[in-house]
Amino acid sequence: MGININALKCTNCMACEMVCSYHRDDGFAFLSACIVAYRAKEKKDYFGMLLKEEDVLIVARPEGVEINKIGEEADPDKKADASAKPMLLREGCDLCEEMDDYGPMCIAFCPVDAITLD
Amino acid sequence: MEYLSTDKILVIDLNTAEVEEEELSEALVEEHIGGIGMTSYLYDKYKADDPIVIGTGLLAGTTYPASASAQITAKSPVTGKISHCPVIYKLGVEIKYSGFDYIVVKGSSPSPVYLWIHDGVADISDAADIWGKGVWESTDALRKFVGDDLLQTMMIGPAGENGSDYAQVCYNYWSSPDRFGFGKLFGAKNLKGFAFRGMGLIEVAEPEAYVERSLEILKQVKENGFLEKKGIAPILEALGHEGVAQWMGPVTHRHSADYFTPYATNTALFLDEDPGLLKESDNDEPGVIVSDILALVEFKNLGLSALDTGRVLKACAKYGIDPFAVARLCGKTSVEEITASFDAISGEIAIPGSGMFTPWCPTTPIFNDFDLSDSNEIMAWWERRQAVAMIFGIHPIFSLMCPELTEENMLELASLGTGLELTQETLDKVIDTIPG
Repeated sequence: MGININALKCTNCMACEMVCSYHRDDGFAFLSACIVAYRAKEKKDYFGMLLKEEDVLIVARPEGVEINKIGEEADPDKKADASAKPMLLREGCDLCEEMDDYGPMCIAFCPVDAITLD
Repeated sequence: MEYLSTDKILVIDLNTAEVEEEELSEALVEEHIGGIGMTSYLYDKYKADDPIVIGTGLLAGTTYPASASAQITAKSPVTGKISHCPVIYKLGVEIKYSGFDYIVVKGSSPSPVYLWIHDGVADISDAADIWGKGVWESTDALRKFVGDDLLQTMMIGPAGENGSDYAQVCYNYWSSPDRFGFGKLFGAKNLKGFAFRGMGLIEVAEPEAYVERSLEILKQVKENGFLEKKGIAPILEALGHEGVAQWMGPVTHRHSADYFTPYATNTALFLDEDPGLLKESDNDEPGVIVSDILALVEFKNLGLSALDTGRVLKACAKYGIDPFAVARLCGKTSVEEITASFDAISGEIAIPGSGMFTPWCPTTPIFNDFDLSDSNEIMAWWERRQAVAMIFGIHPIFSLMCPELTEENMLELASLGTGLELTQETLDKVIDTIPG
């Protein structure tokens, strides 16, 4: 069981990022989220989501989903993205195992149902 | 103020380059709630210094649906009235997480500066390198300087520096709801703008109850059919501007939402790229993101194509001028003539009602009728709805769509979040005391 992301449905509202961080911090913040709205290419209107799981970093972009094994050597032909680094330092997704009433909070709060459970 | 707050008011004196902090007390929140309730109070407190007051709504940056907005309160150099401009996109939330709920900017600087607000620190920085540059170039320069593409900016361009009546304060790269000439006010103060970034934590008095009620309200919102739509074309069609979707179709790329806002109120137009592209463009500046729906339709009414409208909107955002005023007042009909006329724009734009809220926001309900019919009743409702949205920090256009966001549940969440007893009586009193 895992998180499934449809980047074409996503509207980049950051609801997933906020509630994921709430799950970690019991307050409102963005720093601890293991799912984030990717928004570094603002002028290009290019956005999607990044999800850190225990062993993999999932990059959900309009062109599709890419699953990168953490610890494997990066493809030297690919341009590095600064946003990947802080993600790798965060705790992996635990499917909000302690949030019995909600299930994964990013799914519960996504207003456009871009995030679902596999 | 321990909860839903950074606990701090920042006061910057541009005359003396002094920066002070004041505590945001519970008593102030009990009396003024937040947002424009508080910025109006702070404006009045410092009015001898012709202040610009920036503030976040009490619920802004939380799990309450559409809690996206901050506000700028100042005296409009165009109308002479105290006015309130929403701060949208992701910028309103970044202000709160940068460490200050409210920022008062007094006086004028002897030389151009920008204010760099980050993680509870405020710096008055020399703007010599970006003064004279456009909004896009300035935002690019500051993001590069700080090394952070998520830096959020509030900037003026040449229009504000040159003192145009319709100079606009722009947000990151995009046009804003500013129809008050606040860009001219920034320019007169030698204030190029603000850069914000923050990683703060906002604590909640009763977090579990706050989040649970937020989700219940969101579920009610999702049952309302309008969330099946996306972007600006359905809004304009709902307002009676037929054929907009077909007109925009050839250049429409994607739709995006402001922070935690269930409806995507922004639409990207691709002008120099295939609008259907589903990967990152090789073009650094393929188009423009549009939130100013009424400016868009004004250019359509001038006979411009959607492609040419996008080019003009992009030029307006770079120059830092209100595109609605340009469309209404320029008297031109080609891209070249319109963009050449920016410095000559003059005349009056009607500000509806008491003049304190921006007509960037349509003055009618959208998608839902809110049981309103009579035009006087609708205007009174619109002004109150705008006031309430900007007290609590709710996206002002989304608040016109969504009857599920009520004064009652905003007050309920405000009380759960702060641990204070905030009542309807308090809210009514705050609204009555907001100057217009």
